[in-house]
This record gives sequence, structure tokens and C-alpha cells, in this order.
Amino acid sequence: MRTRHPFVRWLAILGALHAIVVCAGFFAPYDPIEQDRKNPYLPPMPLHLMDAQGHLHLRPFAYALKLREGAFDQYEQDIGRPVPLRFFKYGPGYRLLGFLPARIHLFGSKDARICLLGTDAYGRDQFSRLLYGGQISLLAGILGAGCTLSIGLCVGAAAGYFGGWRDDALMRVAELFLALPWLYLLFALRAFLPLSLSPLKAFFLIVAVIGAVGWARPARLVRGVVLSAKERDFVRAARGFGATDSYLLRRHILPETSSVLLTQAAILIPQYVLAEMTLSFLGLGVPEPAPSWGNLLSNLQQYSVLVSYWWMYLPALAMVPFFLGYLGLASSLQERLEPYKIERTSPGSLA
Amino acid sequence: MRFFLRRLSHAFLLLVGVSILAFLFTTLAPGNYFDEMRLNPQISPETLAALRAQYQLDRPLPVRYASWMNSVLHGQMGFSFAYNSPVGPLLFVRARNTLLLTITATLIAWGIALPLGVWSAERLGRLPDRLLSWATAALLVIPDLALALGLLVFGVRTGRFPVGGMTSLDFASLPPAGKLRDLALHMTLPVAALVLSALPLLIRHVRAAVAEVLNAPFMLAARGHGIPRRTLLYRYALRAAANPLISLFGFSIGVLLSGSLLVEVVMSWPGLGPLLLESILSRDLYVVIGGVLLSTIFLVSGNFVADILLYWADPRIRTKSGSR
Amino acid sequence: MQPLLKVERVVKAYSSKNVAGAREKLLALDGVSFEVAQGGTLAIVGESGSGKSTLGSCISCLEIPTSGSIWFEGRDIVALAESERRKVRPRIQLIFQDPSNSLNPRWSVEEILLEPLTLQGKPKQEKMRQRAVALMTEVGLSAELFQRLPAQLSGGQRQRLAIARALALEPKLLILDEALSALDCSVQAQIANLLMELQRTLAMTYLFITHDLAMAAHLADEIVVMNRGRVVEQGPAEKVLRHPKEEITRHLLAAMPSLDSAARPPLEL
Repeated sequence: MRTRHPFVRWLAILGALHAIVVCAGFFAPYDPIEQDRKNPYLPPMPLHLMDAQGHLHLRPFAYALKLREGAFDQYEQDIGRPVPLRFFKYGPGYRLLGFLPARIHLFGSKDARICLLGTDAYGRDQFSRLLYGGQISLLAGILGAGCTLSIGLCVGAAAGYFGGWRDDALMRVAELFLALPWLYLLFALRAFLPLSLSPLKAFFLIVAVIGAVGWARPARLVRGVVLSAKERDFVRAARGFGATDSYLLRRHILPETSSVLLTQAAILIPQYVLAEMTLSFLGLGVPEPAPSWGNLLSNLQQYSVLVSYWWMYLPALAMVPFFLGYLGLASSLQERLEPYKIERTSPGSLA
Repeated sequence: MRFFLRRLSHAFLLLVGVSILAFLFTTLAPGNYFDEMRLNPQISPETLAALRAQYQLDRPLPVRYASWMNSVLHGQMGFSFAYNSPVGPLLFVRARNTLLLTITATLIAWGIALPLGVWSAERLGRLPDRLLSWATAALLVIPDLALALGLLVFGVRTGRFPVGGMTSLDFASLPPAGKLRDLALHMTLPVAALVLSALPLLIRHVRAAVAEVLNAPFMLAARGHGIPRRTLLYRYALRAAANPLISLFGFSIGVLLSGSLLVEVVMSWPGLGPLLLESILSRDLYVVIGGVLLSTIFLVSGNFVADILLYWADPRIRTKSGSR
Repeated sequence: MQPLLKVERVVKAYSSKNVAGAREKLLALDGVSFEVAQGGTLAIVGESGSGKSTLGSCISCLEIPTSGSIWFEGRDIVALAESERRKVRPRIQLIFQDPSNSLNPRWSVEEILLEPLTLQGKPKQEKMRQRAVALMTEVGLSAELFQRLPAQLSGGQRQRLAIARALALEPKLLILDEALSALDCSVQAQIANLLMELQRTLAMTYLFITHDLAMAAHLADEIVVMNRGRVVEQGPAEKVLRHPKEEITRHLLAAMPSLDSAARPPLEL
């Protein structure tokens, strides 16, 4: 069970998951903001291989949905209208990786739409929105973590290497930030900036805010590594050869921080994705119509939606495989690179 | 004694620093409560100006900070524009509601995590332990948001639990036993959400701390002396594993106010969380600062309590700081 | 002739906070003076905490004395500006006790060896390679080891590599701070012999810092005994060993292990 490099396995799993999200355009059959007001709140359409007469089909198909007799929002499968799934179909145009124009989708259909996860109030395909939403949520998490780790690296390295009053001052500030409840600070910071922004601006604002709040713990960890690396004999030897501060930092000391940074990245990214989801869920994050895992869930705050349309809950579980992957990665990295430590303020929960 | 005083002054200075930081954040932010009102054509600019002067929004920053500090020391903690009343009483009521939830949840979570963690550590590596590890991992990877919403959906579907609010509409007319039952019913879902999200990490940490201790030579020696298993576990092992657990406990105390924001909002529990959110959205300055300060007090106190407990529990810390 | 190194009343004080929070001043070096002639070998002997390692750091310009002078090749390196001192540093090299700590474990042997040359700005790729091979040969290592990591070398090989690296910039003075203490006995002898040979071929001056009086006796012309930051006794090796004046010297002598009691110089009380 224990391979030589278990973290490679987790990296591969995560890579595959991220690849699916990155190529959301390919995997999603429809445009995420395309509305179909005539079909709001369609339930998920299950795929079948065997039809009502008991014949086996090679090509999976779904039944189109029609309104149940006497109901205004209850649907049932219309057995008379099978809609076959077509693979590698041309569909709405999209840009792969943001710039390559393409039109091939993994699957699609003619005539009626096949909505694997149902639709929302505006008739938008939830499956497509889920995939595209993942792009935004994951990217926010990753960029935010990058921000935090960059700030933490600079502050920690400066404090650890130069010591003296700089170290004292920086660590006092870090302590202040650690004493503030993280989630509250995040919310306050976000909300005190303009509330209604275009999705793009809102996205970068959230990334900046999330990134700016959590730098204190990585900074402390980096500082610890730098402090001990500074005293290593090979650093002193290099100084004896005439090395400057920047050389020492660049070639000897900062490489020592890589293990701490990697482990922190694996811990922070899921936390930050969750933070973005929470912000968007409460209306402080990425606004409509851009999808994000958070705002896909925001209409669950209405009682009627909660009661009647259970499939709207599904995006909440989208994060689970990613969380699992990051958890596995973080554990295997920690085992491999540093001994297990329980820190004073444990990172797992939100506050 | 000196240790205690040093930690206390440290905590106090930290609080002062935090209050300044929070004050700066919120006052330097663009937009304030009256911006919304400015859009309303019914309110004349003169009224606005008068209101602003009344709420001292035009005074320089240090003055505002000083007068706010003064108000904090009197328990008022500034003034809420939206509620038109001092912030202090407003916060305390909501904080009480929040604490009702979180204290219950924390007690239950620790009550489950400690025995389970110890039990798991005893059987380290064997099937029951592995099963528990898988279960906690499964719970750990479900986001808090999903848990809270999921429980809400569950509540709605089964119809057994009220899904929102702290009390029913007819609360006042219920007999005391009925009141208790009503409260408990309303509390079930939010407390379950909090417990489920805290449990995996707690169990993991307890398990790790105890497992490390169980392997120590002194435990083997104690077992060789024939000390009964239960005593071994709870009086020897848990004592030695106390350090990281006390820190964790300090953290649990620290997040008593701030950790339940999401659950409260989702389940419409009238606690500090929804108040904070609402004030943030309406730019009700002093409520936000007050809320942040209050939860920071808890965080800092949590650390402080942990430090004191560690000092008391671990003789090594005492000798290190006492000797020269 | 002018001595290569002259240490004059060097004082090094450290201030630190003790547990109660008060500031304390620690005198690591309290007025140390001695001389080393060109081509000679001086051993600085003392127990742990006597200040000898601090002395090594000061002389090799890794730390700056609080007061006093260190004359090297006629110039006081304490009084120099940092930029000038950086030019002097390559001529005084320090070899550390533990080669697993003094060699960056992530770097290859080749990178480690070439670091001093790269830092001093000698960029010609081919010339560097040749120099690296020459250095390896000089310390008895094969150039085949170039791509290995330090962890893949034995203790003796690592220390040889450290020595080769120190020689890269052609230093005049080599300070060996307990450089043999971390090695096995037989390896110690090998490295000691290597050092003696190098001294002959390269006309170097050595400063041995050690707590092992036996090693000092074997390797050094002169011995300086330190205790608590001060020089308590110094003189030619023979004289110090046969006629120790101070208590601490006799203490160190008595600690020398020896199989043949006749081989140990008799103590004169």
C-alpha cells in the first residue's frame, strides 16, 4: 500500500481532476450562461441503455422531460421521446485554455438538451455550470494560495534572515493577523470594498483579499526554516567565499523552504476554494451570471428551492474529490518532507 | 506568577493592537452607512450632514478611535446606525445565542473525539482504527457548506426538525419544559452541523497525540508494572499527550464566537454571524468592529487559557521559565 | 620576518536575553593575543566553551570582534571596510567540523567544488572544470564522483571535498575547526597526513582548533591553550606538553588516552 512516492499518485489524481475542469469547454455540453426560460428547474435526466421495450442500445440515451399531468413544476420522463447521446459533437463555441477557439464537446444531443444534473431557475444546464464554475473556484483558490505564500515567503525570509528589529516588528504584525478571526476578517475586508463589480474585477478582488489575509502562518513557518538554514555551515562557508546576502538567500536558504511551501500550498488551496465558495454563496463573491461553485448554491437559501429541487444541492459535493486529493497530497507531503506537527491554531476549519 | 502576568499583558496588548487594526480597516474602507441614504432623494443633504456630524463621522481618525475606545470601556462599544441603539447590548444578545450553539457543539465534539481518538490510538494500524480513519477522512473532505446545507435538506425532507430560527413562534406561551424541548429541537441541526465539521480533525489530533505517547518507553514500563488498562490510558497516556491537546482545546475556545458564522447564516440562527453579515452589507461600521473585537477577545483568551493550562499541566514549562 | 597572522587583544562579546527577559553580556573572547608565522602550524586547544570556535570565526572574517586587532599579511582586517574585507576573506578559509553540515546536501560534488570559483567570478567553463579535477586529485578524490550527492560519499570523502573546496581560492591560511573530530580514527590519520602533505606542497599556514591535545601534539609546532575566552598558556608544542604550567593544560593532558604509559610525557608538578 505504501509506494515509494505516494504523493505522485495523489498528484496524478489531482492533475486529472484539474484537467477536466480546465477543459470545461470540452466536457460541458452547453454554454453555462445560456438560458432556457421555458424549462426552469428540470430535474436531472438519467441515462439509459435499455429502453422501455427491453431493447439494449449501444448508445446511451435519455428521455426528454414533460410536465406531469396536473402539476406545474413536476416533470417525468417522456418515454416516447428518447434523446440519444452523441459523442464528440459540435456545439457552442468556447475557448480552450482561454485562447484556443474550439467547438468540439465530449458529448451532446440533437433536438432536446440532455441535462445530466438538471437546470436552475433560468433553465441553465447545471452540469455545464458546474464544470465552468469549477474553473473559477479552483483558480481563485490556487491564485489566492499563491498570493498568501508569496507574501508569507517574503515576510518570513526577511524576518528570519535579517533578524533584529525587523524580525520583531514583522512577527508582531503577524501575531496581530493571527489573532483576528480569519473568516470574519475576510468578510469584513471583502465587504468594505465595492460590492457590485463585474465578475472579472470581483474575481481578482476576492483573490487579493483571500490572499492578503492568511499570510501570517506561512510566514512563521518560513521564518523558522530560514533561521535554522542561516546557521548551517554551508551557508557560513559560502559567506567565506564572498557570497552576498542575495546569493545566500537565492541559492542556499530559500531552496530549503520549498518543502514547507509545498505542504502549505496543499493545505491552503482547498481552504481558499472553500472561502471563495462561502463568499459567493453569501453574495459577496463572484456575481451572476458567471458561475462559481458558491453562487450555484446561493439560491438554496430560499426555502422553496430547498424543499422542491434537491439537485440544486449537488454542486456542494463537487469539491469533495478535490478535497480528497489535496488532503492525500498534503498528508503524503508531510510524511515525506517534515515530521508530523500539531500547530497551535490548526488549519483545517474555517475560522 | 510572573509568567501569568506576562501572558496577560501580552494578551491585552494584542487586543489593543487588534482593535486599532480593525478600526483602521473599517474606517479606511470606501463607503459608509450614509452613502446608501444619499441615493434616497427624500433625504436632503442637510439632514445627511447633520446625521454625519451627530455620528462623528467627520472627526479625525484618532479622535474617533479614542471616543470609540471610551465607549467600549463602558460596554457600549459604539453606536449602530441600522438599529439605532448602542452596539454593546446588541452584540451581547447575539453572542449569547451563538455561544449556546457553540458551547454545546464543542462539548459534544470533544466528548466524542476524546474516547474515540484514544480507542483508535490503542488499536493503531488495525482494522477498527483504519475504518475510523477512513470515516474521518470521508467527513473531513465534505466542505462545511455542504454539511450545513445537507443537514438543512435532510431536515426539510424528514420534517422532524424545524429548519430555521432559534425558537418557534409560540415560544413564549410554552411551559418551561416545552420551552426547553423547543429550543433543543431548533438547536439540533445547527449543533449537528458544527459537531460534524469539527469532529474529524479533533479525532485525528487526539489519535495522533495519544498514539505517539503510547509508544513511549515509560508506557511499556507502566504496563509491566501491572497497572490496569483504564488507568494507563486515562491517567498516564492522556496526561503525557496533553500538550498538543491543550493547544487544540485553546483553539476550540478561541473559535467559540467566530467558527459558526456559516452555520448560523444557513440555518437562520440569530447569532453573531448573521448580524455581522448584515452589518457588513449595510456598512454599519461600529457593529462590524464590535463583532470583530468580541471574537478576537475569544481567540486571544483561548490562547491565553491554553498557555495557563500548559503551564499548570507541564512541569517542564514551569522549570524552564523559573530557572535562570 | 613578519608573522602571517597576528591576533592582538581580541574581545568578542555577545548580548542575549536570558529566560527572565533581562539582557546579559557574554564574553566569548576576553583579550586574546598570539602570532602565527608563515608556513607554521598553530594549535588552539581548549574545552568546549573556551571560545576557540569563536576565535576561528573572527579570524576567518565570518564574525567581527567587538574590539582588538587581527593582522593578516600586514593589514588589520577588523578595521577594514566590508568591501575590502570581502576581498581578504578568500585568503583565509575555514574548514568545519561536520562535513554533512558544511556541504549543501542538495548540491552535487561538482557544484559544491565550483562554488567558490563561481562566487569569485571565474566564469570560463573549461578552465573551471580543469581546476575542479585538479583540486579533486590533490585531495585524493576521483573526478568520477562529480555528479554524486554528499550523502553518497563516506565521511572521509566528504571532508576531503570540504578541504578541496577550501583550497579552490588558494588561501594562505587554513583554519580547521575540529575538522578531524567527526571522523573515524583511521580516517582521521589519513586526513591528517593529507593535510601535512598539502602544507608542504602548497606552503600553507594552518590554525588547528581542537579539544584533542594528542592531535595538537602530533600536528602542531606551537600550542595555545584557551580557557573561558582567555589564552592561559602558549609556547612550542614540546614545551607545553612536557612542562605544562596551568591547571587546565594538565587537565587536558590527563585526558589524553594512551595505550603506552611511557609514550605519555611525564607530568611535572
